[in-house]
Amino acid sequence: MNAIARDVRYAFRSLLKAKGFTLVALVTLALGIGGTTAIFSIVDGVVLRPLPYNDSQRILRLVRISARGEEASFSAADYRDLKKDATNLSSVAGYRSDIVDLTGRGEPVRIIGMQTTAGFFDVFDAPPLRGRTYHEATDKPGAAVAVIGEAIWRQQFGGADSVIGSQVRLNGTPTEIIGVVPEWFRHPGKSDAWMLSPLDVPTSPFSLDASGNREVQYFTAVARVDRRKSLVEAREQLKSIGARLADEFAKTNAGEALDGRPLADSMVADVRTALFVLMGAVGFVLLIACANVAGLLVARGASRRRELAVRTALGAGRGRLMQQLLTESLVLAAAGGALGLLVANWALDLLVSVAPENLPRLDEVALDWRVALFTFAATIVVGVLFGLTPAMQASRPELNADLKDGGRTGTARTGARNVMVVAQVALALVLLIGAGLMLTSFSRLRAVDPGFRTTELITVELMLPLARYDESAQRRFYMGVLERLQANPLTAQSAMLFPFPFGGGNAQAGFQVIGQPEKPPAEKTVAELNSISPGYLQTAGLRLIAGRDFAATDGPDSPPVALVNEAALKEFGGKNPIGEQVDLGSPVTVVGIVSDARRRSLDAPPRPAVYLPYSQFVLPYMGAMVRTDKSAAATASAVKAAVAQLDPDLPVGDVKSIEQIIDESTGQPRFRSFLITSFAILALLLAAVGVYGLISFTVTQRIPEIGVRLALGANPWQVFSLVIGQGLRLAVMGVVLGLGAAVLATRLLRGMLFNTSATDPLIYASLALLLLTMAGVACYVPARRAMRVDPMRALRSE
Amino acid sequence: MNASAQPLIRLDGIKKVFYTDEVETHALAGIHLEIQQGEYVAIAGPSGCGKSTLLAILGLLDTATEGTYTLNGNEVANLSLSQRARVRNREIGFIFQSFNLIGDLTVFENVELPLIYRGMKAAERRERANAALERVGMAHRAKHLPSQLSGGQQQRVAVARAVGGQPSILLADEPTGNLDSKNGEAVMDLLRELHRGGATICMVTHDPRYAAHADRGVHLFDGRVVEENVGATA
Repeated sequence: MNAIARDVRYAFRSLLKAKGFTLVALVTLALGIGGTTAIFSIVDGVVLRPLPYNDSQRILRLVRISARGEEASFSAADYRDLKKDATNLSSVAGYRSDIVDLTGRGEPVRIIGMQTTAGFFDVFDAPPLRGRTYHEATDKPGAAVAVIGEAIWRQQFGGADSVIGSQVRLNGTPTEIIGVVPEWFRHPGKSDAWMLSPLDVPTSPFSLDASGNREVQYFTAVARVDRRKSLVEAREQLKSIGARLADEFAKTNAGEALDGRPLADSMVADVRTALFVLMGAVGFVLLIACANVAGLLVARGASRRRELAVRTALGAGRGRLMQQLLTESLVLAAAGGALGLLVANWALDLLVSVAPENLPRLDEVALDWRVALFTFAATIVVGVLFGLTPAMQASRPELNADLKDGGRTGTARTGARNVMVVAQVALALVLLIGAGLMLTSFSRLRAVDPGFRTTELITVELMLPLARYDESAQRRFYMGVLERLQANPLTAQSAMLFPFPFGGGNAQAGFQVIGQPEKPPAEKTVAELNSISPGYLQTAGLRLIAGRDFAATDGPDSPPVALVNEAALKEFGGKNPIGEQVDLGSPVTVVGIVSDARRRSLDAPPRPAVYLPYSQFVLPYMGAMVRTDKSAAATASAVKAAVAQLDPDLPVGDVKSIEQIIDESTGQPRFRSFLITSFAILALLLAAVGVYGLISFTVTQRIPEIGVRLALGANPWQVFSLVIGQGLRLAVMGVVLGLGAAVLATRLLRGMLFNTSATDPLIYASLALLLLTMAGVACYVPARRAMRVDPMRALRSE
Repeated sequence: MNASAQPLIRLDGIKKVFYTDEVETHALAGIHLEIQQGEYVAIAGPSGCGKSTLLAILGLLDTATEGTYTLNGNEVANLSLSQRARVRNREIGFIFQSFNLIGDLTVFENVELPLIYRGMKAAERRERANAALERVGMAHRAKHLPSQLSGGQQQRVAVARAVGGQPSILLADEPTGNLDSKNGEAVMDLLRELHRGGATICMVTHDPRYAAHADRGVHLFDGRVVEENVGATA
């Protein structure tokens, strides 16, 4: 113990003495460990950490998989059958989100509510903060009770205990608040309140009778696996129930399957690979940092050869020397780790602030004991990793030579540093290529023409509470708002629509042209449904290719009409669609063809789409789209004024420009590109420092040799080429290795790239060239120094 | 660059002053010296008398503060760095006290190095380097690294490197300083043999025994030539 304490003391003294070395090493380590820790915090919070519910790994998200392999919502009938037969599940719940107006306590407030079945809190077994939650055993459908979230409790009820048992009106319905759940209970998404459904299923948002119709699918289901059963058994049972329903109700369910996915996995499925790729990328940065510090230590070891030779001459064994040198590395790593935590804290704030809002579980990301433990482990690994090779090398002194000249003239000991520089260049190139691919992909994604004009277009959400607005009231409201908007010069070019492009809303239906042969269920075309008002095409900038636009005469009682897009034309078997009828549950006549537009995302090509007039197909989730050169705030005021004339209690929803919506929809690729590019730049800088450090060190070591060369008649430019050549040879080796490694590593990126090959030769070549240029620049300063070596002085020092 | 009527080297009033913050050190205080083609000159004197400074100026490794230096009839004091490198490479061969072989290069590559700087073709380089190594009796060690040779052998390689380019003059700075007496004598024999073959040699030494090998001795003291005498030649 005494020896270790002595080594630690000596390490501190020795590091404090070599201030420049210590500073560079600490900054490098702090960046490497800090970056890795920050990304680990995100990976841990989003992917690794269990959900904060009791026995959360037993919670499944139930999924219906359509014949086309797409996930679909549940119908009431399918849900009831599943709940009855799934004996391996201890509880099952269905839920759907709703916009809820909370009234009865001063100002009306619009919150995001979740209408759930009674088993919801049986599935999400979490203790409430106040009061109680509702359960299947104690609360029957129809009891008007709700549980609210901690944030709303504090904001709207002042955090008072008296809220329990109090009555409020939720969408006009008197409801008793029975409990408050803690802030971390956020499932699903950003819910503020959970309301018990009046039925054994969530109520349908559609005017259709949903209870027996398996085609009306509108809610999500979750379940908890019985403690006596395994996840595998539960999933097998779900699959067999799905198969039975597909047989029994072939008309609606043929080809469909049922399954259950662990909730945590299903929440992060879209981002898991991306986050692990980012973790790998920052791991590369850490490795480069380690190689850099190892290089510095080798250089330092070379300058300490006399000291180590003296220690050996005095009887220190190799093990003893290695212990001392490794202790120094670990002390350095520990200090780097402590600084790294500070860097991580700062970097995490930055990352969370630039992370896309739709990154799941972002609010669970934190620097806590798990992250601290990771940092501690990383520090130890890093300390050994960068300390071992230099320690092994330095603990093997060539006694006689080192005692005589202190290792001043040695040139053969750069081997380990050469390897480290080659490794750094290779790793940096892999990261650069990764970043190049991601940036290219992102810029190509952003260059996609969505099919509509994206400038000067403002959207305003106008969701209606179902409790107060039946179908005809919805229609009256939206028509009334549009009429007022069009009468206002500021918002004269306006339209109503559902859904907003890239907004997440979605409606679709089976699409069958009447008179065309019917396709088997697995090949059946599903069309995206849009509800629009007259004037939408002009407002959004869609082209009418043939036929006519909707008109005011297309009212609720007129014959049903539709517009189809270009992607739907192939369904008409070569016939002119105008005048043809399509079956969307009932026949609808096509009156026009419009240009394609992307609706779900920029990377999803347009699918067959049907536009229906809002007078004939109205939904309570519509919004206004306004073409204006005025600000979003001015537009919002105009829309608010129009809404207030019709319903003073109705708050308007989010006001966003289309550009803003597109920005948000590309948030995740932008975040990935931003991070990997940041890591690549950091790696490039660290690799440049590594190359510079090695070449500079080598020049210092080779000054006597350079003196000899100059004495023999080498001109300064020949010396310059010698030094540059040494650096570039190493860089070329690193580049060759890096190109090979990049071909393998970028396979992981394939799923994240848009219109970009993971082996794009132009990107590979240009980034290899960039790295070589960087290496050349890094060698330039030491090479210039070598040119200026005074042969006289160099030879004297020899 | 050859002219038989004039000396190979002519120094007129060469002074060298080293300036530090407060001190001005006169290493050479007005040297006048001529060295004829084919001559063997020994520069001797006590430590600090300016021998090595003089040799550095002769070898164009350093510049004089004052005075003129004519090599083969050409004034060389004011040449650019590249021009000096070229003259050094073609006209001067160095033999150092500590050999100064490059540790990472083989014996052959060390001897070949000045010829590479000269831009000579590979075949000619090979021929010249092999001939130089044969001359010093080290051809059988051509593929060895310097670290695998004894001090005497290393110095013989250094001599081969110096003569390989057939320079106008060999400058030897204490060539026996790092050798035992037996190896020292062997190197001196080698230099004498080169001289007999026509080489011009200028050697710095503080050992009178070795100085006696030269045709002429030049004694320095405090940066001045204080005595010149014609020595014995073998």
